[in-house]
Amino acid sequence: MTTIDYPLAERTLDNGLRVIVSEDHTVPTVAVNLWVGVGSRHEAPGRTGFAHLFEHLMFQGSRNVASGEHFSALMEEGGRLNATTWFDRTNYFETVPTGALELALWLEADRHGHLLDAVNQENLDNQRDVVKEEKRQRYDNVPYGSALVDLYATAFPEGHPYHHPTIGSMEDLDAATLEDVHAFFRTHYGPNNTVLTLAGDVTPERGFAVAERYLGHLPPIPLAPRPRVPQLPPILGPVRLDRAGDVPNDRLYVAFRLPVDATPAYHACSIAIDVLGGLASSRLTRRLVRRDQTATSVHGWTMGLVDGVSLGALTVDVVAGADADDVEAGLCEELEAFARQGPDAAELESVVADTERSWLSSLSSIEERADHISHHALLTGDPAYVNTFLDQVRAVTPQEVRQAAERWLAPSARAVVRFLADSSGEVAA
Amino acid sequence: MTQVARPTVAPPPDWSFPDATRHLLANGLTLLTYDVPGQYVLSVRLGLPVSLRDEPRDKEGVATILARTLDEGTARHSAEEFARMLERKGVSFGAGPSESGLFLDLDVVKGNLDPALDLLRQILTEPAFPEAEVARHVRTRLAEIEQERAVAAHRASLEFVRTFYAPSDRWSRPTGGSAETVATITRDDVAALHREHVVAAGATMAVAGDLGGLDVRAMVEAWLGAWPAGPRARESFLTASAALSDERARIVLVDRPGSVQSELLVGCPGPDRSVDGGWAPYPVIGFVLGGAPNSRIDAVLREDKGYTYGIRSSFRPRRSGGMFLTSGSVRADSTAESLRLLVDILVSPARGFSDKEIRAGVDFIRKTAPGRYATADAIADEAVAMALDGRTTKFTTDNLRDLATVDRARVEAAYARFAAAAGVAGAPEAPGAGWTIVVVGDAAEHREAVEALGLGPVTVVAED
Repeated sequence: MTTIDYPLAERTLDNGLRVIVSEDHTVPTVAVNLWVGVGSRHEAPGRTGFAHLFEHLMFQGSRNVASGEHFSALMEEGGRLNATTWFDRTNYFETVPTGALELALWLEADRHGHLLDAVNQENLDNQRDVVKEEKRQRYDNVPYGSALVDLYATAFPEGHPYHHPTIGSMEDLDAATLEDVHAFFRTHYGPNNTVLTLAGDVTPERGFAVAERYLGHLPPIPLAPRPRVPQLPPILGPVRLDRAGDVPNDRLYVAFRLPVDATPAYHACSIAIDVLGGLASSRLTRRLVRRDQTATSVHGWTMGLVDGVSLGALTVDVVAGADADDVEAGLCEELEAFARQGPDAAELESVVADTERSWLSSLSSIEERADHISHHALLTGDPAYVNTFLDQVRAVTPQEVRQAAERWLAPSARAVVRFLADSSGEVAA
Repeated sequence: MTQVARPTVAPPPDWSFPDATRHLLANGLTLLTYDVPGQYVLSVRLGLPVSLRDEPRDKEGVATILARTLDEGTARHSAEEFARMLERKGVSFGAGPSESGLFLDLDVVKGNLDPALDLLRQILTEPAFPEAEVARHVRTRLAEIEQERAVAAHRASLEFVRTFYAPSDRWSRPTGGSAETVATITRDDVAALHREHVVAAGATMAVAGDLGGLDVRAMVEAWLGAWPAGPRARESFLTASAALSDERARIVLVDRPGSVQSELLVGCPGPDRSVDGGWAPYPVIGFVLGGAPNSRIDAVLREDKGYTYGIRSSFRPRRSGGMFLTSGSVRADSTAESLRLLVDILVSPARGFSDKEIRAGVDFIRKTAPGRYATADAIADEAVAMALDGRTTKFTTDNLRDLATVDRARVEAAYARFAAAAGVAGAPEAPGAGWTIVVVGDAAEHREAVEALGLGPVTVVAED
């Protein structure tokens, strides 16, 4: 068992910016990572895709920075950078040589404080086109590309914060005006809605000092956060969506609503999903891939979210000629058996060992470590989660896993999205 | 509120790739260890000079099936038992063939290195290749072939190698074999390949991570010292270079009716790391043309036109010869216009670079090196990749030193040599000369417009 204890020092600036420094001098670089408390879950009907489009605009210049200069100025100094948008938040990050830390913060301050000086119709139109190509590339021009979008719409009710995907609706993006962009920035982008993590070759004293120097002047914004929505219960179902068409083989996505992220119940569900489909020795792999040979592969995954629900799924690629209904029936049998039996000692040991290695791997780079720290500071309130997560997983008992499976992974609670290669299949809602 | 003046940047200190401790085992296995404090997950990488050319022509794909069945059961354990044994120790294991050799990857937390090496020993020396498991992986690979055909970027790659390499060359065909050859593979084929080629002679193993308190050399001697050397001595790298097709300079349009985007793949022969004038300028050229959101291609096709989410260019060196490849997808109705702009940008260096562009590329590649090679997996990957290229990571360091001296004149000379050798001079009367171009998209929509560009002869192939 590996014990970890990454150092964490935290300070909140007068303007509300939460700053966390995790010192590590093994490499002369610093990861700068900002999480802003806005994601697609904050979008209103008719305004979907906005958080993500906005993230693109953050690279198009600000008061003292030309369009594209954020990228070029940092890359010329050896920075590697990007940004992503997700249901729960938007993040901006760069890993820079230690000597470029202050430049990185200066550039972040300029766009996080003074973006609107530079936003214009031309870069709005251009980035809207780029986002449409991103959507075509990721969703429209690949087999099974709509799977996740379909899963969200099937598993979560209309109007729920996670019912619509982060990429949003192209019609909504077309309707976006410059005034919408301005309003979005003023509503969500402010130091008191942001977490800054510095991980790497920087001491807490210096980290706090440079954060104050470059970001301390940003004015706080009026925040009126809505409370998170209550926990969604399991689906009373099952519910399903079939898509027939041009895919190489049948594929099933069998999904479940789960408890919100970073809770003991979520960890228990996550372990259950791993025992069922997350490992090479998982029950569904043994049953469907090795024994029945009706599936070429099985995957199990969970997506931890904070607004009233998380998502877990088992994905099955069906062997050509095998019957997708039979495969699903076999899967449901295994769910039922697992809810009766719970995990045995070897299954639990395997999941814990696998989780330990993958968690330590993800913390081995300062950029991912910084991202985890920002994540939990912003969304679950506890940046020390990086150090305690493995203990939380190890503390879950077989009985808790069994109970979690019984409640959250019951066959009747499943949302199924099927892609059927047989074009004669019927499309049903 | 007051804003602070833009800060200046202190230059980074000189940096070298971490030093290895090198040890040659009696069976011909070279062990490289890299002690990287704080990296609690150890990365074990093994590179074997196993050539795809060693596959029988009618059994192509057997190296891929071999890689996927090495851990599917051993002399003493069933496939299921062995999977559980790996997982109880938290070992992630994977293997796959490539043009430069066979790679095995194993990651494990520090405390479990010893049992993980025992498991690796069993994988290397005692695989049973049970008939049922081989048959299952053959079926899985056949399904995967269908999956790959359905993904435009994969489809473009398959068509590219088929067009670019001589039909007689192994590299003109898929690394993992085709449906016809894969379907015939048996456990005996796999076992025969294993017996002859998965041997210690010429193999390189890198172990990177927090090695404090571990005697890695003793552990590897204990577990892999008895791995058979094999029937003959081997170099640590493969030498054969690929034969190119005489008819590679053309446009192939793979018909995908109704595609909302067209996938573009444009390439030509490129240098390898031993090229005259040094390797260092070439990654800079790749960066300036298509390595970043501000590079020449995306400045036009993404940021000005909005035709694409992004297109990337890079040189791909091999032990002998290499390629220069550019790929990405564009909005369907911009297909011909995007291709015209793209090829024009790819030959634009003949009209020169700016000092600023060169500085940006040099600085990015040089100054990102400490961060790119900060983790155990990145260090071990580079060590084995260099070994299979017939080098050590001294090259990685020397190349970064040389990069610091690269200026505009050197890059322009390097581009000129590359363009002349590849025949992609970009003459006004034949702007597309020398390029192999694959477009995966709607042929009925785009054929005429692509032909009208005058970039070369256009062949349409049906989506198979």
